[in-house]
Amino acid sequence: MLPGEALRLTFVKLPGLSVPVETEVLLAQCGCEADVAGLYLCEGDDRFSLKLNLRHEAGECRSRQLFKGMASGNARALFDGRVYVAHGAQKTVALQENHSLLLDAAASVESRPQLEIYADDVECSHGATVGSLDAQQQFYMQSRGIPREEALRLQKISFLSPVLERLPESLVNEVVSRL
Amino acid sequence: MQSAKNDIPVGTAAGSDYKEGFVTQVEQDFVPKGLSEEIIRTISARKGEPQWLLDFRLDAFRRWQKMTPPTWGHLELPEIDFQEIIYYAAPKRDEDRPTEIDPALMETFDKLGIPLHEREVLAGVKPKSNVAVDAVFDSVSVATTFRKTLSEKGIIFCSFSEAVREHPDLVRRYLASVVPAGDNFYAALNSAVFSDGSFCYIPKGVKCPMDLSSYFRINASGTGQFERTLIIADEASSLSYMEGCTAPMRDEHQLHAAVVEIIVEKDADVRYSTVQNWYPGDAQGRGGILNLVTKRGICRGEGSHLSWTQVETGSAITWKYPSTILKGDNSSSEFYSVAMTGHYQQADTGTKMIHLGRNTRSRIISKGISSGHSQNSYRGLVHIGAGAEGARNYSQCDSLLIGSDCGAHTFPVIRSANPAATVEHEATTSKISEQQLFYCNQRGIPPEDAVALIVGGYAREVLQRLPMEFAVEAQKLLSLSLEGAIG
Repeated sequence: MLPGEALRLTFVKLPGLSVPVETEVLLAQCGCEADVAGLYLCEGDDRFSLKLNLRHEAGECRSRQLFKGMASGNARALFDGRVYVAHGAQKTVALQENHSLLLDAAASVESRPQLEIYADDVECSHGATVGSLDAQQQFYMQSRGIPREEALRLQKISFLSPVLERLPESLVNEVVSRL
Repeated sequence: MQSAKNDIPVGTAAGSDYKEGFVTQVEQDFVPKGLSEEIIRTISARKGEPQWLLDFRLDAFRRWQKMTPPTWGHLELPEIDFQEIIYYAAPKRDEDRPTEIDPALMETFDKLGIPLHEREVLAGVKPKSNVAVDAVFDSVSVATTFRKTLSEKGIIFCSFSEAVREHPDLVRRYLASVVPAGDNFYAALNSAVFSDGSFCYIPKGVKCPMDLSSYFRINASGTGQFERTLIIADEASSLSYMEGCTAPMRDEHQLHAAVVEIIVEKDADVRYSTVQNWYPGDAQGRGGILNLVTKRGICRGEGSHLSWTQVETGSAITWKYPSTILKGDNSSSEFYSVAMTGHYQQADTGTKMIHLGRNTRSRIISKGISSGHSQNSYRGLVHIGAGAEGARNYSQCDSLLIGSDCGAHTFPVIRSANPAATVEHEATTSKISEQQLFYCNQRGIPPEDAVALIVGGYAREVLQRLPMEFAVEAQKLLSLSLEGAIG
């Protein structure tokens, strides 16, 4: 990328697809910005892996990653994301987040958020969580007359919404219809 | 610090910032260098071991021969010539008076501040310390203190060799039950050639009245240290265990490949603390200890608890992942770590939490500090098995960078196969902010003190988990390692 350029990238993986995805984003000039996000829905026997290598080769760049995944049935999902900050890439700001929902006992998820940093004047952080749908939220909605299935759907939509907001409406509808 | 005439400082350009860098001239008993079945038989024979232990060693050796060193660490390991190492070096025993410790040895441990004179401690000559120590010098354990007090409660605390002789059933039952002989390259090597170490057994329902401690020192040149520690906490017992280590300054690398196994039964509680201060090499990265260690504990019974606390400031290379297998329901484990690297040191350290039982809990707090040209990595695994209903983990791994030529890395792996489990991980990497420094400077705190203050605050969450005596030592070590790191 050239100085001052910005990249905004959003991945969507719908259920029923088993693929390994590998992507590299290179910030080679000062002052670039990369904003990468994605969601992956895994069902049945899906095997999905996402490998993302985000390389800060030049200073004063900013990057942000936000990935949300769901696994049900026998599905397996893997997120393997790396933030690499080269020696001398000062004033880098990098943020990485990966959140997964595990919906069935036979499903499994793996998350490998990684930071590899060779410059000191940086602000880098990452976070990862794995959990399931909150029972209290579920109870709250059901006690107000929202049927269980609908409540579950609402919870999933709210989990995905930070990524959904970035998508065109037609795609949002498609994602929501597959929940 | 007083210097005795039989201590020769070694190392050339190292300067004087490593105060444990002296060598003690003690008459040593060596086996020839190199590794072969014959050497293993010699070590075993010299220690008068039973056949089953020799078989265990030989089996491990045969496994080791088929293995290759792991390369996944974020480390540049120098090639180790395993035939160039002396696998057994023991201070010569005075056969006529086996109960007395060589005065030169005594002086070494005195100098390191390790109290072996229990009589003086009890009489109040030395500052009172309530710690029982097992001191391991090169390949053998030279002294274990307070054994009588402990044995009144049924606690066994002795050197590994003694345990093999006097409690063979216990050793045989538990040895390699947590770290199998073929677990990994360095553990297999240790299983084949381990020379001594500490053994500890706390019987049912006994709360250990004092902290137990192992102290390891490498002294002889060209040797490696391969000690083995086995700790068993029976039902509803509790124990606090500390481990410390130092070595002389030398231009060559020396290998330290230890294995620690901890078995925690139902409702027992074990706290294991380490302050690792092996010689880190000089400012140009020459010499230093290669610290390649396998530490693992198992929470076997319901409600058992194991806590790891480590302060790592030494070693040229650290490769160490104290891990816990949470097998019993409702068992819990914690890992608190401060890893500090400077000059050309490399550290790849972290933990593994293997959740198998229901409602198991774990917590990981890791603080890395790197300066100079050092590389400091956190590597961890949180594994939630399919049966770990309601398991919970929280991990936090922070890195602090001092200087623009060092590196700080975080490589966590989170695996979950149970929807009723919750795992959270977060990590940050940054340097000491200009604002914090400015704030301190403005109030008259000089830059070096300000950095020490900020680092102290940063590491506090871990340091306060250490037993008191250790915490003071660790704090001193940190500020010592920081000297010259900035400016």
